[in-house]
Amino acid sequence: MLSVIRLAWRNVGRNPRRTGVVVTAVAVGLAGTLLSMAIFSGMMFQMVDNAIKTDLGHLQIHAQGFNKDPEIGLFLEDKGAPEIEAIQAEAGIQNWAPRIRGEGLVTSPSSSVGVRVIGVDPDAEAQVSMVSGSIVQGGYFDQKRRLVLGEGLARRLGTEVGDKIVLSVQDLEGDMNGTALRVGGIFRTPSAELDRSTVFLELAPAADLFGMGDSISEIVIVGHSRDAVLETQARLSAALPDREIERWDELQPLLASILSVMDQMASGLYLIIFVAMSFGIANVLLMAIYERIREIGILLAVGLSRGRLVAMVICESILVTLLGLVAGFTLALLALFALSDGIDMSLWAESLASFGMGTRIFPVLTPADFTIPTTVALLTALIASAWPALRAVRLRPAEAVRHD
Amino acid sequence: MLRERFSRLPNGLEGSERNRRILQALTILVALFISGLALDGSAADLQPPPPGSDAKEIARRAEDSLRSARTTLDASMTVVSPRLSAPRVVRFQSWEERDTKRSMVRILSPAKDAGTGFLKLHPNLWMFVPRVERTIRIPPSMMLQSWMGSDMTNDDLVKESSTLDDYSHTLLGLDPSPESNPELPAYVVEYIPNEDAPVVWGKIVAWIEQEHGTPLQQDFYDEDGSLLRRMQFSDVRAVGERRVPYRWAMTPLDKEGHSTTIEIESIVFDAEIDPSIFTKRNLRKARR
Amino acid sequence: MSLEWRLAWRNVWRNPRRTGLTVSATVFAVALLVLMSALSTGMWEKIIDDSVSMGSGHVTLTGPNYLEERTLEQYTYLDAPLATRLGENPAIAGYAPRVNAFGLLSDADVTRGVMVIGVDPELEKSVSSLPDRIKSGRFLEKGKNREVVLGGRLAEILGVKIGDQVLLYSVAYSLESAYDLFSVAGIMHLPDPALDRGLALISLADAQAFFVYGNRISEVAIRVREADHSASLAEQLGSSLDPEKIEAHPWPEVMPDLAQTVVIDKLGMYLMLAILVIVVAFGIFNTILMAVLERKREFGVVLALGLRPRAIFRIVYLESILLAGVGLTLGLLVAIPLVLYLQANPIPITNSEEMAAAFEMVGTDPVIYAKLIANNPILSALTILLVALLAALYPAIRASQGKPVDVLRSL
Repeated sequence: MLSVIRLAWRNVGRNPRRTGVVVTAVAVGLAGTLLSMAIFSGMMFQMVDNAIKTDLGHLQIHAQGFNKDPEIGLFLEDKGAPEIEAIQAEAGIQNWAPRIRGEGLVTSPSSSVGVRVIGVDPDAEAQVSMVSGSIVQGGYFDQKRRLVLGEGLARRLGTEVGDKIVLSVQDLEGDMNGTALRVGGIFRTPSAELDRSTVFLELAPAADLFGMGDSISEIVIVGHSRDAVLETQARLSAALPDREIERWDELQPLLASILSVMDQMASGLYLIIFVAMSFGIANVLLMAIYERIREIGILLAVGLSRGRLVAMVICESILVTLLGLVAGFTLALLALFALSDGIDMSLWAESLASFGMGTRIFPVLTPADFTIPTTVALLTALIASAWPALRAVRLRPAEAVRHD
Repeated sequence: MLRERFSRLPNGLEGSERNRRILQALTILVALFISGLALDGSAADLQPPPPGSDAKEIARRAEDSLRSARTTLDASMTVVSPRLSAPRVVRFQSWEERDTKRSMVRILSPAKDAGTGFLKLHPNLWMFVPRVERTIRIPPSMMLQSWMGSDMTNDDLVKESSTLDDYSHTLLGLDPSPESNPELPAYVVEYIPNEDAPVVWGKIVAWIEQEHGTPLQQDFYDEDGSLLRRMQFSDVRAVGERRVPYRWAMTPLDKEGHSTTIEIESIVFDAEIDPSIFTKRNLRKARR
Repeated sequence: MSLEWRLAWRNVWRNPRRTGLTVSATVFAVALLVLMSALSTGMWEKIIDDSVSMGSGHVTLTGPNYLEERTLEQYTYLDAPLATRLGENPAIAGYAPRVNAFGLLSDADVTRGVMVIGVDPELEKSVSSLPDRIKSGRFLEKGKNREVVLGGRLAEILGVKIGDQVLLYSVAYSLESAYDLFSVAGIMHLPDPALDRGLALISLADAQAFFVYGNRISEVAIRVREADHSASLAEQLGSSLDPEKIEAHPWPEVMPDLAQTVVIDKLGMYLMLAILVIVVAFGIFNTILMAVLERKREFGVVLALGLRPRAIFRIVYLESILLAGVGLTLGLLVAIPLVLYLQANPIPITNSEEMAAAFEMVGTDPVIYAKLIANNPILSALTILLVALLAALYPAIRASQGKPVDVLRSL
């Protein structure tokens, strides 16, 4: 067997042109497949990331019943101390931020609009949501008693940075409570809805306004990876039995469903790309072997056994394919490296240009992504060489030699 | 998606600009406190105030002139809007007890709404609808809804606020003949809201009658100095020691064809109010 | 020239195996491109379709400024001539007038602010999927007054079941209070939690009476037959309507978030298509190159016989183009019926219950659906033709550069 491999290896080197063509076919096919997968995963990741980074997070902790009917009266006492303790015991959690979440009315001299009111710890919030990075005018809580709101909302209110607005809410006691704040910053995120209907202020004035004292409404958590979220959720739920701990896809089931539908469609697209790749490989291998039928005939004529011959041909194909795989991986990794700053979709679609970070796709590959294309390529190589090889050795040597 | 539309009404706190304005003006009215206000007199016409006049003291008198521990009121409210072919007139009765923060409002007409009642028992607001015999507790987020289609919100109905602490006051001078009531000389006081006061205005200029502290006119400006709305008080009558304007008219100046006017039919200060008025049982007693 | 054509044509058929391989490379390339763009078109058409049928249709007619303010003050009318025009327009599959407003819904001590939509029970079915969302009871029916259909969580929060009476309270357009009792006819299950706890449907007639709205409406939701005609239909309707009274918005204006997602995804899809083109281009290139290199001996012989290299180049290039042409035609002949078949018989997804649940949540059948639009096969075929023209260049040059001595050496 070893001698077969050695012979095959020598053949691979003997015809660099043929080897080159096959290696190119495998490499381009594989690199293309890997890149497509990477871009698609990156796209899915970006969409989830956009959702998570608007204000969703990977996980949210609430008092029981909040998800069914979010009321200001459902809160976490003591700044969420027991919850934070549980969070700190978790290795998979990257960042977390406390929030007060309620509803209110923003009034400017010319208009008033009902809004979601979110009290945040500016530094912690900057780690979990994109609002801090999406300021297009003014600053992000760089002064006291400032409020940060979306561009759409600012337009509806007719306010600009520095203008005074009054924020009125119903506090925990049921009293109406109002406070004056100045617009400190205006943000623009990929979520038009967030931009149109949400105001952010600091935790302390929000707590005053709602009469919450030390209580908060929720803790939002961003984990190291999306895959670990399920386990983190299970452990936190066990540690905090009387809290609702929900994943982003439970909080936004519609978005989650659209994404899983897209994911499902993607498998159809992968299938197409795999077919394209294997076809490219099979075609060249078939050609390469047919081209050598004469040679095979000669080898048969000089008395090489059929079994060894078939083994040699297959072995050669596998070797060439392996070379192609190595080249393909290298090519794919180089391409990924070149794209490591992301592909900026807004370059092609002007309408996206205004959305900033949300439109950049970072291709991602996980080790698992390598196995299927590799297996498919090798299987293709095996079949595409075994079949013609078996046919070739069945020819009578004389016939084979005459073969065109 | 529906969400797109829905998001505009997180829990329904929708208030049109017109609504809000009239409402805010009326706030003062219905809940019966109020400070006096007046027209934009040009500063050139002002005379220097008598020595020893204190702006804050004048403002306090204006506020006190329209409120008492217990007040009852019969009034009508007229709303003019381009969407109405004829002005809408609502007659109502109200009872208010300041220290217990209780109040009750009953609609008398139009017939369709007659008997509808609003009862504020701090901090809840209840509404009774006689036609379907149901009482509703108006939920927190609803407190900012327009009241009876006027430009007043439910919150305006039940707010206990004081304008004194939220502003700093400057006496601009004495207007010998204010536009709204030429025969009543008035102090002109400028109210500048404190930075953290829940007030959107840049400033309010108020005309306050010199002798009795009756509010005559209020002009509301934004921070850029544009005059956005004007409230005028007229038909000043003597009620005991007080001088009370019986007609209050609010006009948004940047919206054509809108105004809200309240005309008092009768008002009693320091009234005797039977405590049973402020009960849910009384609320359900529709007097049609 | 005609000699070269004939030679090329004869060569094509001389070696059926080689021809078969080269042609099949092109067939596959065309077929895969057509299939892939049809699947991606189909997927987005479906997601958009499902989204607009939960919302305001592919095209929405509203009063001026409605999209910005969304209150009763921004209204429009659906008069008889307009209704006739919408009904007769062949591009329109259905239209439904609606009144959108805000109200308080109350049962005993529980009161919640809700979005109230007045819908025409019959017309609504031609546009939206809300009537299919009923999980208990039934949808509104024409001729039945003062009935309401609620979101599931809303019903739960209010603690009401089918047949119960709830009080709806709001402020009418006439600025008077509006209140009435409605009996719960049906309860829906809505995928969006915010809607599920905040949506109430009543009949259009009831809504117009309740809000004293006359025959005003908030919007007309229009469902088009071909989703990609949304923008052109909106433009066509918009230009023929009085902009002071009524505006026509294609869905991306009404749902900018979804539009943005679609744009990003489409760009991603184009990238993947571009990669697929590169992969199949190399497949074609490699196959042609192999086929040509395999015939080195033959070219050496004809060169030795005195044929000029330019002639060889032309013959080989023509051969490749002929093969590509055959492949293209066959590819389209395979792909178009396949896509049309998939369009008529979508592939059911049966691999997991979780997936089925996800599809159900979006409110769509668990199928993979392909959609053929005319320029997709045309563009695919043109792309592959271009690819083949370029890919055949180098092998043809190589063929013409053969040296007569090669013949001797390879013997």
